[in-house]
Amino acid sequence: MLEIINCQIEAKTWRITLPDIDVKKGELLVITGPSGIGKSTLLHWLLGNIPQHVAIKGQIMLSGINITHLAIEQRRVGLLMQDVYLFPHLNVQDNICFALPKNPQRSSKKQRRAAAMNMLEQINLAHLGTRYPQNLSGGERSRVGLIRALANQPQVMLLDEPFAALDPRTREQMGAWAFQQLTEQNIPSVMVSHDVEDIPASAKRLCLADYYQASEQK
Amino acid sequence: MMPTARIRRIALLSGWLLVSLISLLPILGIVVGLWPAEHITFADIEAFLGYQGLSASVFMTLFSALFSTLISLYIAFMVYSQYHLNRRLQSFEKYLAPLLSLPHLAIALGLVFLFSDGSVFFVDSGLPRKGLSTLIIAIVIKEVPFFLLIFSAIGRQLPIKYWLLQGQALGYQEYRCWWFLVFPALLKQSRLALLAATAYTLSVVDVSLLVGPNIPELFAVSVYRWQTSFGVGEQALAFWANVLLLILLAVSVLILYGHEKLAHAGCKALATKGSRFYIGSINPVFKAWLPMLALLTAMMVLVFALWSFGFNWHSDSFAFTQLTTRLWQDEWLFFALPLQNSLLIGLFSGLLGVAFALLALELQRQKGKYWPDYYWLLAIILPQLSMVLGWQILHIWSQGGYHSGWIVLSHLPFTFAYAYLVLKGPFQSVEPRYELLAASFGYSPWQSWWQVRFRLLLPAIFTAFAIAFSVSIAQYIPTLMLGAGRVTTITTEAVAIGSGSQQDLIALYVLLQSILPFMAFFVAALLARRFRGSMGRQDARNY
Amino acid sequence: MTSRLFRSLSNIFSVCFVLVSVATANANPEFKRITTIEENSAQWQHTLKAAKGQSVYFYAWGGSKAVNDYIRWATREIAQQYRVKLIHVKVTDPSEPVSRLKAENGRTSAIDLMWVNGENFAYLKQQKFLLGNLWSTIPNTAFLAVDSLPITVDFGEPMDGFEVPWGIGQFNLIAENGVFQESQVSAKSLLNIAKKNPNTVTYPRPPEFHGTTFLKQLLVNLTDADLRLYQSATQQAQDALLPVLWQYLDQLHPYLWQQGKAFPSSAAEQLLLYQQKTLSMAVSFNPNQWLKEKSTQQISESSLRRYFTDGAITNSHNLAIPKSAPSTDAAKVVINFMLSEKAQQEKFTGVWGDPSVITSLFDETATMPAHPELHSSWHVLIEDAWQQQYGG
Repeated sequence: MLEIINCQIEAKTWRITLPDIDVKKGELLVITGPSGIGKSTLLHWLLGNIPQHVAIKGQIMLSGINITHLAIEQRRVGLLMQDVYLFPHLNVQDNICFALPKNPQRSSKKQRRAAAMNMLEQINLAHLGTRYPQNLSGGERSRVGLIRALANQPQVMLLDEPFAALDPRTREQMGAWAFQQLTEQNIPSVMVSHDVEDIPASAKRLCLADYYQASEQK
Repeated sequence: MMPTARIRRIALLSGWLLVSLISLLPILGIVVGLWPAEHITFADIEAFLGYQGLSASVFMTLFSALFSTLISLYIAFMVYSQYHLNRRLQSFEKYLAPLLSLPHLAIALGLVFLFSDGSVFFVDSGLPRKGLSTLIIAIVIKEVPFFLLIFSAIGRQLPIKYWLLQGQALGYQEYRCWWFLVFPALLKQSRLALLAATAYTLSVVDVSLLVGPNIPELFAVSVYRWQTSFGVGEQALAFWANVLLLILLAVSVLILYGHEKLAHAGCKALATKGSRFYIGSINPVFKAWLPMLALLTAMMVLVFALWSFGFNWHSDSFAFTQLTTRLWQDEWLFFALPLQNSLLIGLFSGLLGVAFALLALELQRQKGKYWPDYYWLLAIILPQLSMVLGWQILHIWSQGGYHSGWIVLSHLPFTFAYAYLVLKGPFQSVEPRYELLAASFGYSPWQSWWQVRFRLLLPAIFTAFAIAFSVSIAQYIPTLMLGAGRVTTITTEAVAIGSGSQQDLIALYVLLQSILPFMAFFVAALLARRFRGSMGRQDARNY
Repeated sequence: MTSRLFRSLSNIFSVCFVLVSVATANANPEFKRITTIEENSAQWQHTLKAAKGQSVYFYAWGGSKAVNDYIRWATREIAQQYRVKLIHVKVTDPSEPVSRLKAENGRTSAIDLMWVNGENFAYLKQQKFLLGNLWSTIPNTAFLAVDSLPITVDFGEPMDGFEVPWGIGQFNLIAENGVFQESQVSAKSLLNIAKKNPNTVTYPRPPEFHGTTFLKQLLVNLTDADLRLYQSATQQAQDALLPVLWQYLDQLHPYLWQQGKAFPSSAAEQLLLYQQKTLSMAVSFNPNQWLKEKSTQQISESSLRRYFTDGAITNSHNLAIPKSAPSTDAAKVVINFMLSEKAQQEKFTGVWGDPSVITSLFDETATMPAHPELHSSWHVLIEDAWQQQYGG
């Protein structure tokens, strides 16, 4: 379970004070708001990527542990971005391999690759295993991206407008499929989205504009 | 402070220390080297300025340096635009290998061998045997492939294909897109390569002596002459000449920066003008450049090989049956060891150069601030003879003995500078989000650096190593001055032989000099293709 | 004056000049008769013993295969006879060892033995970089042909035991028989040849040593060996003599290769052009180079040696030991070997062809009539003035 406590986003001329938020396992929180207000920035802060131009204060608790000051690599947080950023020098199978967590049972390369292929087979994408990211379609790329992120067994998943680049039909399919996966694996998720249609009805919403305050300070 | 954070800090500090040492060596060298041993007065400036032909010499030198560099740049760009997206020709990097392996002097010698009277291939090229145009051509022949290699390394990291598609979709012809969209980006990232090429041509002595004009002489030759003569007052002339040389170098740096700004402004102006009408394309001609250069180089290699096998076409009595390997056999005993030395020194200084370049780039990235380019390239911008003289004095002072380790160290500033200039563009173009993702997967900064950033840069790293290695092979003055005859490389031997007139021997040593770089470039090209970089192969199925 | 009369006068003159210069040198009993140690003296035996096992780093020009091969031969002989390791450090420019000595500034040198040319000797001697008393501590200097050759003075600077002559240089032209039909050349005949065969005659660009010497030969010829050339140059002498040369060159340059707008950078480059049949003449200091080059088919079969009517300007090239050299004993042993009859014989008759400096091998017929070097002050003057007139 993810908890965000006492979060405040401060810029030079404005401030956003958020209420305490919690996202339980399998739940989805959608952050909405106008462009530029800091949705992605907030998401990146959750990841551990400290933003440069605004100051964000607050506490992040993940399964009871305070991860606010931990480095990114220690947080077990997954990230899926709009440009999926599959590693171009690795094929699909190896991309997923890369994300597999260190497991003493599966330490040899062969075993890891087998596990990756397994995951691909589960979603009927095994035929993509040896392809390189440049040779995938947009939808395939998004799917592989999500599988890769899930392969890492994160404790919380962050999604930054993940389907915005896809055509409406694929977007719908991808969205449904993604949430299904996340719910099945019981992972709390935080998503940033522009498109209201993307959001499943069961999701919690947080509109940053609601908490926006222009500050008088210099 | 947590232990890992402390280790990190120590590592960063020592990294900065190492990098500072390497980059400060050139400055140290030039200060010690130029420090006048005898009393220099300002009155000597008068004597210096009164030297007959000085202004013409300076002007010619500056002109030849800038002109040859810029023209190579534009030619290389136009050739690159032909080859970049053509799948079949994409492997042109492999063909660059032989073009790049012949040292500059060898190219000039090749021109002399090929186009002199009495040559079997004699073609009256209309070029004077010694003149500014011949010099510029000799330089351009080597510089164009060099720039092509740089563009290749940079272009791999840029979404050129997408820019072109975008531009064409907006109605511009493809080659116009190349100029408006691609050229500014390539130019910006080739800045260092331009600096290096200009600095080289400004101070080149051996090529100038062979094919350059000498009424008046090019300035670098005059500087060299003053610096190596010990008559009365010559050293004072040398001092002021070096000062002027430094000024010339600074001026060329400024001019190159100015050119970059002008070019950017020009492209922007033309682009925003929005004109879409058809302008006759001159590009198809440039498709032929690379094959032409390759043919020229192949001919040169053939000529050198023939000479080394005894084919003396000036001899009154000659028959093809007289070809023999006698010269190779005779000299084998004497070039085996220098060749080996060259290889080892090249390997070490090349690897270290690349390692330090990566270190310097990473440290600057961490800091967020990149130091000015010319600072890192000081080793190739500052006058080499004075700088190495300074190192020689320090080395003697330290009584360190004469072993290859010192030679490797003396080559390091040069290999570092060239590796840096090859790697900077690709390094900065690596998408930082890849490392972010790796971190989110649980990889520590060290791990993600190795497995993601380093891996994405591999093709550029191979190229950088090949160039650094060849730069080390080609170094003469550092090896000579610090090795004092104890450490001989194939280049010290070749240069000594080159000062004579025995054509077959010269040809032999030129070939020997070229073998090692050739292997390096060839292997690097193969490996670069095998290991994909950031953009991989430009596939038609993108998006 | 007939050329034969002039030749003999010139010979007498050379000898007189040598005697005069010897007499006016610091009165030093050593020069009247070379007194040096004997081969079997205790001192020399000690030197030999100390030299065993030492390495000698010999800084010598590496551009000529003939010289390189000779030095390789010498290395083998010396290793065999004396157990001294001679290592040839191939130098491209004669100034390289000088810069090194300057940078070392007295510390233990990397150079044990060096091949010195006239221009740098004065500087080296003045800076006290050289080891002295070489003549008195090396036995074979006793055989130097000081009576027949001007080898105690290097370019106007008395050797004073700081360097030892190794071989003789005599300025000559290597030329096509068809073009240069006379065995001797004068300024006038050169001009005619250049007019008849434009674009094939030239000389290395001063201040390259061969180029300046070529100009000196012309000057001697044009001024009929004016006596002032052998004394320190005065302003009057310059004003009187040099313009003659410039007038001549003004006439000559338009018929030269590249119309005098470009010159070969070195004698080696000119030889290269000659080999490529672009030029009809090359210049050399080695009197036998033409023969050796022909025998290895480097130059055309119809090449011959030519020299100026006043005689070939003659000097010696020498060996010296830096004062701070680590293996001075071994270096002395090497010099001793180089002066031995065996080594000088091989040098002369082998691939190199460099004339010998010892009396037993001194062969007057093999050398050309000699002409003494001009006073060294003229050398620099000619270079500077040429640069003023034609260099810019």
